[in-house]
Amino acid sequence: MTFAERMLNIDRRIIFVVIGLCTLLPLLYPVGLPIKISQEVRGVYDHIESLPERSVLLLSLDFDPASKPELYPQAVAILRHAFKKNLRVVAMTLWVSGTGMADELLTKVATESGKQRGVDYVFLGWSPGGTAVIINMGQDLYNAFPSDYGGKPTKGQLVLEGVNSLKDVTYAISLGAGNPGVEAWYVFGKDKYKFELGGGCTGVIAPGLYPLLRSGQINGLIGGLRGAAEYESLIGQKGRAVAGMDAQSATHVAIIVLVALCNIFYFTLRRHARQQGSQP
Amino acid sequence: MDATIIGAWVATGLTLFIFSFLYKDNPLFKLAENLYVGVSVGYTIVKTYDTVILHLIWKPIVENQEWTLLIPVTIGLLMLTRYVPKAAWLSRYAFAFIVGVGAGLAIPRTVSSFILKQIEDTVRPLLMLVPGDGVTFSWNLLNPASSINVIIVLLGVSSVLFYFFFSVEHSGPGKAVARTGVLFLMIAFGAAFGYTVMARMSLLIGRLTDLIEYSDPAYGRPTLWLTLVTVGTLIALGLRRRSEPPDSH
Repeated sequence: MTFAERMLNIDRRIIFVVIGLCTLLPLLYPVGLPIKISQEVRGVYDHIESLPERSVLLLSLDFDPASKPELYPQAVAILRHAFKKNLRVVAMTLWVSGTGMADELLTKVATESGKQRGVDYVFLGWSPGGTAVIINMGQDLYNAFPSDYGGKPTKGQLVLEGVNSLKDVTYAISLGAGNPGVEAWYVFGKDKYKFELGGGCTGVIAPGLYPLLRSGQINGLIGGLRGAAEYESLIGQKGRAVAGMDAQSATHVAIIVLVALCNIFYFTLRRHARQQGSQP
Repeated sequence: MDATIIGAWVATGLTLFIFSFLYKDNPLFKLAENLYVGVSVGYTIVKTYDTVILHLIWKPIVENQEWTLLIPVTIGLLMLTRYVPKAAWLSRYAFAFIVGVGAGLAIPRTVSSFILKQIEDTVRPLLMLVPGDGVTFSWNLLNPASSINVIIVLLGVSSVLFYFFFSVEHSGPGKAVARTGVLFLMIAFGAAFGYTVMARMSLLIGRLTDLIEYSDPAYGRPTLWLTLVTVGTLIALGLRRRSEPPDSH
């Protein structure tokens, strides 16, 4: 067996170890590679930055713990930015399995920012119906969510003063890991009730959302852990996402090298086979 | 013991058990996998019961006498007649209602958002008319609306559509167009694959970050101890399998 053949039949567990080490070592010994801010992430940041104080930011945390590594840092960064700008935050989720996590994350960031539940922010929780909830909120927010996650009636809460439906929302952001997510918020929310919409998503679904960005259907998109790291850099509060970017870059380099090596070995073997075939 | 510490031990253990699948399929992985599915379903059922049955149905009807809620409740209950063969036909009313409402809401909005808006964005003039400067051509690749990008989009959309047009044989000039379409598709799939790899690596980074955090003495070093337990169990399982007589079947 030639070297190229042996390399192409390598035990896949060796590749797992290589990828594991490429991820682990930069996490233990960070290098601090520079993070370039993309136009799509800046779109969300600039829009929040342009909002006047006490504007209403609707944050829909449409993900569950399975997507936590990518979307949790995005949510933390956006909430920190919103609270710093003194916006009123109305949070909710369309994913029942993410309800507890969403409440925990909102409470944590609000507490560190010194914000008060019911005055500066509210967590509406989850309501059944998926996309129907968005339509219901567009007609009457209090009908869709008669009480918040803690069971307190939504009507009369200071944070919701003057907010009766989605038409009264200044800016909405959906952090989606699938369906319902950013697309549902555009189709049943923005397109119908005409509010500005931004998005955040996992890396897997990001390519599918770029057409919405290009056409202006959403004004910004935070894609995956990289997007979260960019947002953390923009607000000047580096967190988990920035810490993970060294590891992300190292694994990408490892994968590129592995793909290149496999191709070299493959073409070497093919040339070898052709040469042997042409011999009399 | 503090709930955070118990949570750290459980999270670390289950993470390591799941990772053990990378070595080979084993009972530890199966335990973690079944627990994950069970806990997810259990959580969803409890949350749904609390939110829907208690807060959206029971309390409004019993405490606030909102009797109109009985209409959606009845429609919902009709779906359960699927389990009674003699009354199963009643479920068709519920399905008819739900499909009708769903289609009525989704079709116009989806056509408007994904077809009309996307066509509108794709069909752009190749040259820009700038007030004062007349007709201009922009070479800026970074601007999605620039003339050069519009030409690339035109080439891409036309060639990809031609590639999927099977009524004409892809030969001669048609072959060149179809090959161009394939190139555009490969670039699109490559970008999608790149993002997918990034997403998977992000999940790995998330888990490893937690494992590093839980190696702290404040938690009792669960990462260290449970790694030893996982590796020890895998070795023990391997030795037991080796000592078993080979299957006679």
